[in-house]
Amino acid sequence: MDLILPLFKNGFMSNEANMFFAVVLGFTFGFVLERTGFTRSQIIANTFYFKDIAVPKIMGVTVITTTTWFILFSYMGWLDMSQLFTPATYVWPYLVGGLLFGIGMVMAGYCPGTAVAGLGTGKSDALIFLAGLLAGAFVYMILYPYVADFASSSKLGVLKLHDLFGGNEYTSYILTVALETGIILFLMLLQKLTNKGEK
Amino acid sequence: MEKKYWNPYFGGVVLGTLLFLTFAIASQGFGASGTFSRSVAQFLVDTDKSWLQNAYVASYFKHSDNALFNWTVWETVGIFIGGFVSALLAGRFMLKPDKAPSYSVMKRFMWAFVGGAIVEFATRLTRGCTSGQGLDGMATFSVGAWIFMFSAFAGALILSPLFRKQWVEEKNEGDE
Repeated sequence: MDLILPLFKNGFMSNEANMFFAVVLGFTFGFVLERTGFTRSQIIANTFYFKDIAVPKIMGVTVITTTTWFILFSYMGWLDMSQLFTPATYVWPYLVGGLLFGIGMVMAGYCPGTAVAGLGTGKSDALIFLAGLLAGAFVYMILYPYVADFASSSKLGVLKLHDLFGGNEYTSYILTVALETGIILFLMLLQKLTNKGEK
Repeated sequence: MEKKYWNPYFGGVVLGTLLFLTFAIASQGFGASGTFSRSVAQFLVDTDKSWLQNAYVASYFKHSDNALFNWTVWETVGIFIGGFVSALLAGRFMLKPDKAPSYSVMKRFMWAFVGGAIVEFATRLTRGCTSGQGLDGMATFSVGAWIFMFSAFAGALILSPLFRKQWVEEKNEGDE
């Protein structure tokens, strides 16, 4: 049998080994979040005032880099892209949930991953934020009987960009790179216009 | 002596390569929000078994009788240690809240808590946060991830004027 990535799905690794690598990969993620300033709620929140756009820059370049590796490895026959976990699309829950998420983020500055790394750097507001996450999960569970129908409404399953616009994985890749680059350039322009005349 | 943060483009290439490695090994990407609802579910069931009648709580016990034996939970432990070690090595470890310097600490804590609760509630609807949807979803070309990110950015922008004082230090030369 040829070795084809991903390791875990294709049976080259035990569940326990996968959990071990989870800690190792999480460590590298947390390390880079700290190195790039993602552990600071002020830096993250300044994105929404176009004062500091390092966060969307990093996110955009991250997606471009990851997808480039995917396409390369898949082209070489080393990676089976269909085995990569892709979240399903639910239109209305994502629209409403997304709005709520953004509202919570501008209040709190953190998102869950950055707050965990932020707590590691000693940020006390990150600790309070994490307590808030637990409270939010509890409220969701209590309200679940009332939101369950909405939460599973407008389900489209795994829906990729090329399912929408036609073509194949390469189409999605080109679209993704174009969109991410466009967003970064647009935000750079907004940053320039917003901060005109200051300093 | 405090070091400078990495250049964002360099940081993106490093993070993107790590995310690729994560997918290549584990078949899934980074995540975080699930850890907190799993922790709550485990705590509730440990306290009172009748919580298993709640369909959402029960969904975490389909594959295992321990909701915390899960890839994302272990990865979250790693994120914490990674942040800690990096901050120590960079001389940036410090016990303090992050905000605009003149903003009140109590108000900062209040918004961190309220915002945190809203964020986690929202991620239950969106099946993931800025990692699980924003990074992983976008990297796997998911349409839903784009819906989520655009609507999250819109939500933040709509309310941003109300929270400006918490984040942006104004230079008050001449005005007011």
